[in-house]
Amino acid sequence: MFRVILYNQWKWSRLLVVLGSVAGFALPIVSLQGAARADASPLAPAELLRTVQSWGVLYPVLAATLGLLVAITTWTPDHRGRHVYALVLPVPRWRYVLLRFGAGALLLAAPITAVLVGALVATSSAAIPAGLQGYPVALAVRFALAVLVAFAVFFAVSAGTARTAGIVLALIGGVMLVQVIADVARVDFDLVGKLQLLVLNWPGPLAIFTGRWMLIDV
Amino acid sequence: MMNAIETDQLHYRAAKTFHISGLGLKVPVGAIYGFLGPNGSGKTTTIRLVLGLLRPLAGRISVLGHEIPRDAPSILAQVGFVPEQPHLDSILTVRETLAFHAAFYPTWDWPWAERLLRQFDLEERQPFGRLSKGQKGKVMMLLALAQRPELLVLDEPTDGLDPVVRRDVLSALLDYVSQRRASVFISSHLIHELERFCDWIGVMDNGRLITQVPMERFKNGIKRLRISGAPPIPESLPFVLLGREQTDGATETWLVREWEPQMSAYFDRPGVTLTEVMDLDLEEGFVELLRTFRGPRA
Repeated sequence: MFRVILYNQWKWSRLLVVLGSVAGFALPIVSLQGAARADASPLAPAELLRTVQSWGVLYPVLAATLGLLVAITTWTPDHRGRHVYALVLPVPRWRYVLLRFGAGALLLAAPITAVLVGALVATSSAAIPAGLQGYPVALAVRFALAVLVAFAVFFAVSAGTARTAGIVLALIGGVMLVQVIADVARVDFDLVGKLQLLVLNWPGPLAIFTGRWMLIDV
Repeated sequence: MMNAIETDQLHYRAAKTFHISGLGLKVPVGAIYGFLGPNGSGKTTTIRLVLGLLRPLAGRISVLGHEIPRDAPSILAQVGFVPEQPHLDSILTVRETLAFHAAFYPTWDWPWAERLLRQFDLEERQPFGRLSKGQKGKVMMLLALAQRPELLVLDEPTDGLDPVVRRDVLSALLDYVSQRRASVFISSHLIHELERFCDWIGVMDNGRLITQVPMERFKNGIKRLRISGAPPIPESLPFVLLGREQTDGATETWLVREWEPQMSAYFDRPGVTLTEVMDLDLEEGFVELLRTFRGPRA
């Protein structure tokens, strides 16, 4: 059962998975390009850290993009068929949802592995200045968590109907409206800021995306 | 006798203006039950309720002796469903679609599926989304049959198909039913098609089941009577008077249901003569039934 769902998922998201894997492999290597040419002009530790940090912004972006797109493709065949076919299959709905989730999550293992391999290749071939260390496994684990969090969030949202999406958008719109009204009325009430702190700061659900994503660090 | 499908006092509201009320459907085991009704009468909604896709507001649904929607996941393994619109994944090929479907049904019969694939002349490498309407209809029927179900629920399975495809699809269905003695619940507005092979008939209109009777009784029971000197207010009728029209000054035409030949004795009274008893075919009976249900002329 899982095999056919996985194959179905692969047919829908193979292009995303391949492109994501190429990007995931290339990103750590490109981020350490200067350090790799150690004999030519090794980067000073501070400059290397700045370069690695600026490239590091792309890891959460890649993780969120992959999670979003694979989650959307996970439900595309069912949405197109208005879920009728899926609902008449002789499996409990929770099990079908788990099968779909598992298939999407398993396919995301490819770009995660690509990031790990890319990070290992990059750190092993680079001349890392004294006092700095490579963290390929930690970076790949963090990337894996970020991809899975993004996938889980968007999987849950895209599992719903257009009505569900409308409710989510209405909630976001409502928060923005309250904030605008508070600003216009000069009320000291930072709702957006508070929500941002709640969501993006530890133990918020999206805290994994924030902070520095460093392949090389002290 | 256990019924393959049974609903009792089923209520469902689909919109402010449409609701199903007090639905009491009984599809006997082994029957081919034709489910008739005009567009928007509630046939597809009823099918979705029966399959557990929708949850009723009130009432009870039983399929093959199991409660729906509670037991839906287990009982759906024994139910073959052909929806009104094909809902399969468009990028999977025919072969991949079969493999996907087979993985969910423990009774899937691959040799028979292969035979049907050849019989229906389907190109197995073609993506489902690129098939013609007729080919999609054949794939849907193939999937429903090759899982060897005890009950087939078919929602207008031949709608829009050309006569050749329709014949292929229906003959495969009838072959299966004759071998397996499966029950079939088939909705359609192609009345003459149902007339050929259904042994029970149910008629739905405006969310209500108007009638459900064995096909023979339905066909034979609805008659048009020509009566001269008809009594103004008929009393203690042995049949159901659906409507009456004055043909000319002394003659009236009555449309009746549940007619039996011996009932002509009812008109053996002074000044009253039953001059003619006319048969109606299924389509005429269906139309008259709907007309009288919507606005009794009696």
